[in-house]
Amino acid sequence: MKPSTLDDLAARLGAEALGTLQPAAAGIQADRARLAVVFPGLPRKVGREPVRGGVTALGPGRLDLDAFRRCDLAAAWLLLTTAATEAELLDLYAHGDIEERAMLLRTLPVLPVAAVTTRLFGEVQRSNIVLHLEAGVCDSDLFARAVGHAGFDPAAANRLLLKLAFLDLPLRRVFDAGRHANPELSRMLIDLATEREAAGRPVWRDTWRLIGAAPCPGAVARLVGGLEHGDDGVRLAAAEGLLALARTDLAPFAAERLPREPRGDVRAVLQRLAR
Amino acid sequence: MPIFEPHIHMFSRITDDYERLSLAGVRAVLEPAFWLGQPRTSVGSFVDYFETLIGWERHRAQQFGIHHFCTMALNPREANDDRVNKDVLAILPRYCEKDSCLGVGEIGLDDQTKAEETFMAAQLELARKHSLPALVHTPHRDKKKGFERCIAIVRDCNFPMERVLLDHGNEETIKITRDLGCWSGFSIYPNTKMDPARMTSIVLEYGVERMVINSAADWGVSDPMMVPRTVVKLEQAGVARDRIDQLVWHNPIAFFAQSGRLDEAMLAQPARANLRETFDGNSVLRGQDPDKV
Repeated sequence: MKPSTLDDLAARLGAEALGTLQPAAAGIQADRARLAVVFPGLPRKVGREPVRGGVTALGPGRLDLDAFRRCDLAAAWLLLTTAATEAELLDLYAHGDIEERAMLLRTLPVLPVAAVTTRLFGEVQRSNIVLHLEAGVCDSDLFARAVGHAGFDPAAANRLLLKLAFLDLPLRRVFDAGRHANPELSRMLIDLATEREAAGRPVWRDTWRLIGAAPCPGAVARLVGGLEHGDDGVRLAAAEGLLALARTDLAPFAAERLPREPRGDVRAVLQRLAR
Repeated sequence: MPIFEPHIHMFSRITDDYERLSLAGVRAVLEPAFWLGQPRTSVGSFVDYFETLIGWERHRAQQFGIHHFCTMALNPREANDDRVNKDVLAILPRYCEKDSCLGVGEIGLDDQTKAEETFMAAQLELARKHSLPALVHTPHRDKKKGFERCIAIVRDCNFPMERVLLDHGNEETIKITRDLGCWSGFSIYPNTKMDPARMTSIVLEYGVERMVINSAADWGVSDPMMVPRTVVKLEQAGVARDRIDQLVWHNPIAFFAQSGRLDEAMLAQPARANLRETFDGNSVLRGQDPDKV
């Protein structure tokens, strides 16, 4: 039988951490103002070491434990145990320092998707602190589970993925985000790519993957052109984008590139395209 | 020689000061919460100020490789202001638990009123509850009596003397504090407080045990470079390098490490300086190209 989220968190935290957390939770339940005092001290009390364990089902979804720290899980345990309200979570975020905010955002994948999830996605969207975008959106399936909830419609999801591109974080860190590909997002990404190229700046590699999955005007030319790009990562992404596009009429471009392609991983995709 | 500047109000200083401090070897600064030059009229102003100390100001310091810490408190002068004093005391516990908060301060006495004494005692209790040391501001007027009164309050509260830094000392107060077991702070501040030459005389006479020096630079006519300047004077006076190192690096670290939140190994490296990073979208570059700064 699948353990409850609290049991799972408790087992991962261990008896020593729980010995610290349980009295703290009791104190909060007796006096809600204690939450704001207890929360900032969690990294010092239970540690900042990575949890480790890879991609794991935990709570309502999946997350990559390698990206989570002991204090993140402790924070999730504490907030669930004390049934922290939306107002309390927003207060912790509003008055938290950079690390506290990251810790709070890391608890979101373990908590049920709720109004506070989308409110904090909005906060992350407005911030340029990479750590907070990573903590809120990366290394779990929270983004994919949240799309469609009130306050996080497909347009808001597009804007958040565009932010990911803007800050150059890899798409694979947002589990299942590729499923959200759509022509409007492709248009936004191509516009950003054009702007970046005009400024002589690099383009987010995952652009080629997403525009292949949901083409918009200009996507095909970019994908074909991507096969000749000097950056290995861009060529791989372009080849994968073309594969997603599934256009047999473009196979000659892959066949023409294949004998000149030095990278094995790119060649493997080109061979599938050239068939 | 790395320097830990244990009392400087960077909130009131310009970004160029961070660069100068960094070039002069200042690896870490501690910014005590203080009086902003005019009274605040509501607790909300304190909330915003405290959050600047743990947020934007830390970020700004890090952009120049400087670790930024703070102490949190209701300052003595505004302890007299009934519009804010009780409310500020009520919000302090959450800020005392912030990671970069290494103590409670500046508490202490200014005009030496009853209200100042009440809030100093209340904040010593706060420091005890949060296992933090206390940074005590001593009065500029009637200083010797004020020092003695601060010490009496610390004793009345049964607060451990080794966790107290009595700041803004001078030639008179060192005679009182040197055998108390507390730490003595000296502010090297132009025209008032101490100057580098007088500080050198104190070091030559009393040594450097449980002693720290700072610039206390703020919005007034002050000089954030006073600690590096004093280091030069001490060297020229023949004070041994390891003694100077103790005074400007090991001593402040030892005092604030009593918070349990200061990792000396982490201070061995400059703070991570990434000019491309922003804080809530705000950057010290104000539109400049980070590669050209």
